[in-house]
Amino acid sequence: MSEIEKFRLDERKCIYCGGCVSVCPVLAITLEETRIICDQKKCTRCRACEKVCPLKAITII
Amino acid sequence: MRLMERYDAVVVGAGPAGSTFAKIAAEGGMEVLLLDKKKEIGSPVRCGEGIGDAWVSRVWPQGIPSACIGARISGAIVFAPNGKSLCIRASHTTGFVLERKIFDKYLAVEAAKAGAHVLARTMATSLIKEDGRFTGMRLKHMEEEFEVKTDLIVSAEGMEARIAREAGFQSLATLYDVDTCVEYEMADLPCEDLIELYFGSIAPRGYAWVFPKGNQLANVGIGVGGLTGANPKKLLDSFIEKNERFRKAEVIEVKGGVISVGEPVKEKVKDNLMVIGTAAHLVDPTHGGGIGLAMESGIIAGRVAVKAFQKKDFSKKHLMHYEMAWDAREGNKLEKRLLLRKVLEKLNDDDYSNIIGEISADDLQKVLDGNYKSVVAKVLLKHPSLLKVLSALL
Repeated sequence: MSEIEKFRLDERKCIYCGGCVSVCPVLAITLEETRIICDQKKCTRCRACEKVCPLKAITII
Repeated sequence: MRLMERYDAVVVGAGPAGSTFAKIAAEGGMEVLLLDKKKEIGSPVRCGEGIGDAWVSRVWPQGIPSACIGARISGAIVFAPNGKSLCIRASHTTGFVLERKIFDKYLAVEAAKAGAHVLARTMATSLIKEDGRFTGMRLKHMEEEFEVKTDLIVSAEGMEARIAREAGFQSLATLYDVDTCVEYEMADLPCEDLIELYFGSIAPRGYAWVFPKGNQLANVGIGVGGLTGANPKKLLDSFIEKNERFRKAEVIEVKGGVISVGEPVKEKVKDNLMVIGTAAHLVDPTHGGGIGLAMESGIIAGRVAVKAFQKKDFSKKHLMHYEMAWDAREGNKLEKRLLLRKVLEKLNDDDYSNIIGEISADDLQKVLDGNYKSVVAKVLLKHPSLLKVLSALL
């Protein structure tokens, strides 16, 4: 089964602060330097990351 | 990369908490590994970079090298929504705005000089559990992967706290108890040696700030409550646009982050595990400052770890001395600050203007020192309708 994309990041806006990582209740998001990796399988679409992102770079779809 | 198979302690995160801990533990004779996942310790900065002088004397009595200091501050000025302001100013230095990129690197260097092994660009990917005990970690340094064994894992991971949460600590930040912030470092912006704070709907459930860094540089930022739905970047841009003094100022750096302004994580130790600094939400809930608290937790936890090392006992029961010492020292103070935050978040623009118009610099100092009662009584005499909101402070 192909992975459904739930977490979408606008890399033009992201400053890699890791705020999204801090509020993700299921530890789906990892920050490595200038890479944000979201484990789409773990994501529950709770939207905490979308709400908290200071640059509004995240869209949950 | 050369790593040992086992260490007495592995510290995840080389910020102020982790490096302070690593220094103390290494000085106590422990083999310590201090990791940071970033290629450059101290960068990117996610912080306003301010610390009070009283904190520096307590947590780093040897003094901070001038290379780490942007500006020396001698007070604060608080602005109400109606433009009224209140200034507390001393004739001496009351605080510093640091250059965190240099400061954090300096602290990691101090840890290394004390004998700690330091390795940047190294991520702790997961914990190793054997027979119900945490015995080590899997690490990734660039393309290399390692397993290290250790008696003590210390999470000094800051807000992300992935390892702490994997271990079962309650380090998940809720939206209500975080502020989300955007900050520009601005050049060609003359400032006095005061930190400036702006309250009200300009920054819902937070504040806007100007922290001078010397050489006409300043951190200009806005933090807003995580549940307010406010957009900190938009608010910051509009704050800057509306204020004539920023007309010539240039954006040298864009920073941001999410910070806990809630209560500290209650359980800070388990068998073979400790959580320190911002990973344990050891942050002042009224302003989101945490450099001093982080270093203090690193010192207290470091001393407890050295005793545990000497007695070869890294059980929760023994490590608990860190949690107890912390609670005795900072528990009540942080609780009072949280109470203040929860009152401030109920104030509207008129309330802020009325209060700031009513109180004196001495009153503001009393509030900062945690003595709310006489100040609240004074405000209520003129503005009795605030009783409902302010009664929690009586």
